[in-house]
Amino acid sequence: MAETSYSLQYIERDSPLHRAYPLVKLGWVFLVAAGLFLYREPLSGAIMLLLVLLTAVGVARVPPSMVIRSSKLIFGVGILLMFFHFFADPGEPVYHVGPLTITDGGLYEGPIFFFRLSVVVLASFVLIWTTDIRDLMVSLTKAGIPYRYAFAVFLALRFLPLVQREVDAVKAAHAIRGRANRSSLVHRFKLWQRYMFTVLINGLRKAEATATAIECRGFGAYPDRTYVKTVTFHASSLWLPLLFILVTAALLYFERLL
Amino acid sequence: MLLYLIVNLVIVVALGFIARSIGQFNKTGGGWNFDYSTRDIVIIAVIAAIAGVVNTGTSTVWTLANSSMGPLGGALLQGAFMWAYILAAWLVRKPGAALAVGIIEVAVEVLLGNPTGIASLGWGVTQGLGIEIVLALVNYRKFDLITAICAGAAASQLGTVWTAILFGWDPAFAGDVWLAVPVNLISGAILSGVIGHYLAQAIARTGLVRAAAT
Repeated sequence: MAETSYSLQYIERDSPLHRAYPLVKLGWVFLVAAGLFLYREPLSGAIMLLLVLLTAVGVARVPPSMVIRSSKLIFGVGILLMFFHFFADPGEPVYHVGPLTITDGGLYEGPIFFFRLSVVVLASFVLIWTTDIRDLMVSLTKAGIPYRYAFAVFLALRFLPLVQREVDAVKAAHAIRGRANRSSLVHRFKLWQRYMFTVLINGLRKAEATATAIECRGFGAYPDRTYVKTVTFHASSLWLPLLFILVTAALLYFERLL
Repeated sequence: MLLYLIVNLVIVVALGFIARSIGQFNKTGGGWNFDYSTRDIVIIAVIAAIAGVVNTGTSTVWTLANSSMGPLGGALLQGAFMWAYILAAWLVRKPGAALAVGIIEVAVEVLLGNPTGIASLGWGVTQGLGIEIVLALVNYRKFDLITAICAGAAASQLGTVWTAILFGWDPAFAGDVWLAVPVNLISGAILSGVIGHYLAQAIARTGLVRAAAT
């Protein structure tokens, strides 16, 4: 039975990126994403990919093997999207592949979308690898989100391994009663319906019990709450977004010059 | 792109008015009540966790179909993600529940390895907003099948705005984006609206969630 939980997990290390304030890192991901929506040259996306990769491996000390293992997720969809643009975008025909035509517009736009998607995914992975999600939630409450609402995210993450275990248990219970994996699609859909409902009911039953338990402990009684671990903002965290703002501005400037 | 956004908003609002004009309003429960109880918050969290697990698998298939075959490739599955948003909105019956599930569910998906990473937050927001707009037009006082179908279809269609932005489908050139509209609507109506509504009804019958039973 699955004990885990997330495919992507926080890697505990001591690095400048790990020490950066979680909300600043979240802002950095949005900043990188915003830049990628502005670039009109594939080279800018390529430079940004290189820079985020260097930040991950060189600054955050994420093991290169971890990046390689996740590369299917990071680049897979981007590559498919690039190929789709090769054929779908308007422009002068360059090559013919059977009934399909690759256009010059597609060859230019395709890599832009490849870098857009891949770099956004890589940057969000860097955030997950270097940030304890609890710290991120605490920093969100410090930024003004009421703790009762931020707690919903905590709870969803707390429930996640339980849900996964429950799905495995219900699947196993069904498999014991027959070879579910080899049955027809319709039968499998019916099984899916059944175990979805079981998982939902068990989840909601736990939700009711949890709500009562945390209310008994006084949750929500005060405007503020305390946390086991404190997360403090240091202005030194700002090096990350500032560096990327500079690079983005420079890339956009050079794009205008070209 | 602006025209596509406007058309989408018109579709969503039209669906809201359809939901408003058919059937009767609830006399009890619902309404513009922002007072979330701890129970509501926990229900949202649990549904988001379950939907995150289920939708991560679906989103991998959808993303592959969408990025390799274009708007029509993903349209059939476009509506398969919002059943949980409808379910949460129907169980909690408060403004913002669908949007909250959308955002938290997507955050869970990001952790589980959604192939579009943090960019998927865009879908959580747009799809959640689609449901919220329809429910706002019925004053959060109608939780019947028609409203669920309209909300599911609206969410499914509004989600494609973010898809078009992220995947670079310019509706000015890509005719498929327009051709996919009816498929998106039907897919959302059935896979999210009908399924979400019947799940909520089935759960209400168990008596587990009090708000849903009222």
